[in-house]
Amino acid sequence: MTFLEFTEGPMFYVAAAVFATAALWRVIGIIRIGKKPDLAPARGSAAAGFIKGNLRHFVPRGLFAQRTWMHLLGGYGFHIGLFVLFFFAAPHIAFIEKFTGLSWPALPRWGFIIAAEIAFAGLIVLWVRRFSDPVMRLISDWDDHIGSWLTFLVMLTGCLALQEAHDSLRAIHMLFVNIWLIYFPFSRLMHGFTFFLSRGATGANYGRKGMNP
Amino acid sequence: MTMISFYRRSLTLLSAIALIFATMMPATLAEAQSSVRPPDNAVNQGLTAPLGAQSDADIWRQLKHGGGDGAAAIPGDIPMVPGRPQSLIDTFLEEIRGGESGITSDSGQARVMQVLGEEWRLFRRDVILPYAGWILVAVVALIALFGLLRGKIKIRDGRSGTYIPRFSMAHRIAHWFLAVSFILMAISGLIILLGRPVLAPLIGKEANAVLTSAMLQGHNLFGPVFILSLVIMIIRFMKGNFFQRADLKWILKGGGLLGGHASSNHYNFGEKTWYWVVVIVGLLMSATGLLLLFPWLTEVLAWHQLSTVLHAGGAILMISFALGHAYVGSIGMEGSLDSMLRGEVDENWAREHHDLWYEEVTGKPAGHDADGASPEAAATEGSA
Repeated sequence: MTFLEFTEGPMFYVAAAVFATAALWRVIGIIRIGKKPDLAPARGSAAAGFIKGNLRHFVPRGLFAQRTWMHLLGGYGFHIGLFVLFFFAAPHIAFIEKFTGLSWPALPRWGFIIAAEIAFAGLIVLWVRRFSDPVMRLISDWDDHIGSWLTFLVMLTGCLALQEAHDSLRAIHMLFVNIWLIYFPFSRLMHGFTFFLSRGATGANYGRKGMNP
Repeated sequence: MTMISFYRRSLTLLSAIALIFATMMPATLAEAQSSVRPPDNAVNQGLTAPLGAQSDADIWRQLKHGGGDGAAAIPGDIPMVPGRPQSLIDTFLEEIRGGESGITSDSGQARVMQVLGEEWRLFRRDVILPYAGWILVAVVALIALFGLLRGKIKIRDGRSGTYIPRFSMAHRIAHWFLAVSFILMAISGLIILLGRPVLAPLIGKEANAVLTSAMLQGHNLFGPVFILSLVIMIIRFMKGNFFQRADLKWILKGGGLLGGHASSNHYNFGEKTWYWVVVIVGLLMSATGLLLLFPWLTEVLAWHQLSTVLHAGGAILMISFALGHAYVGSIGMEGSLDSMLRGEVDENWAREHHDLWYEEVTGKPAGHDADGASPEAAATEGSA
């Protein structure tokens, strides 16, 4: 068994299983915590507040946009770029198809490159802000930095293997993907799954009180 | 028509046909490089021949240096090694190199076969590669020597504990954004440039090939990110980086190293020079890099060759400056890293290194009249 076969075979199966099981366990755990019963009569819809809370958090309020425009651009650039990279890169679609049989149209190479550029620029800006901003530096711990670096390394090794001329480069990329998958559920990377719950909970709370979140 | 004239014309015709095939080659090669995975029979087709054991380059090198009997030198060409038997192919090459007036190649020279590519290849191999490596070694050695002799430059009066805002959040993000993308570009670029002579003997040709392939992809990918960060940095840091009268005094006093205090504004002469090096060389690197990334922007071969030379030279210059900047801005001088990490600097540091700026922002006199001539004052000048 070659190193590539190992990283795309047994190691990937284990990593994917850990990722799925642990992530599901954590999400279900959060939902099961529930909340104390609110005895006050409802003045609005909690469900509508849940949705509003999620949507309104996509747009910064008032002066925040002016003060954090670089953070805003970096954040959107990174997340959208990463989303496009993950779901619309031809090698990723081929990989997913190999396991699930599902397939969809891929971005052309130039589109993939532009998405990667935007994602990298965004990630670098976010990481730089993490250690340049005194407040961010204070509230950041090893988990934040490891999460940023692992994500960067996954993206970097993927792009270094773009030529698809050497199996070893693909194997290194897969190795980091597997590590990232295993680390994900036990870290703040979980915000990828939990952000809508926290935003929604806040929104539902305000919505029930008849306030706009 | 004599027989000699007939043969000469035939040779010219043959060489013209060869030239047509040669001009078709780059398109084929470009297609092969642009595809995600080269065809399995690419090597057999000669698409990757330049990397083979007996590559095109080797054949041309053998032809070039393997013969010659003192034939007249062609202007701009490398003289052939005398004293070796000249083969039939050498005679043929001499014929088409000399050419006839009116038959020109893309190089614009009055000959069918242009030697521009060979000259550029030799220049790259014999001048750029060795000098690039040794210049960087020398710069690192100089910085290390300076560090050993001078040690860390302390704040003369120690830290005051009071801090003055120096760089905004946007300044710091712009600086580190450029720094990170530059480091990625520098590492990948150096491996591409020096991988074969430096790394291949250490890690082997196969590993070097994999590494170079990876670095090439990374370099091409991070190039536009570097350009974006460069433009942001140029705009964000332009204010205050134009040369002023105080800079002339700073130069005359050698930045304080020649005795006396050298006053400076928000940025001293060294910092301003570094800024303009980044602007000019950075833009030059961006332009030449774009030309190398998108070779179809021009069909003139000389522009591509010039781009590789300027790109490599500019890179070595920027990396050399950046090493010095990184040293003085971090471990070389007490208090200077605060400006880019915290966005603020110690009051004593500001008073010592940027007195005019200190007076401007605090309204207090820096008070350098008394300590201007002291040897300690002279020794602690300068800043990142």
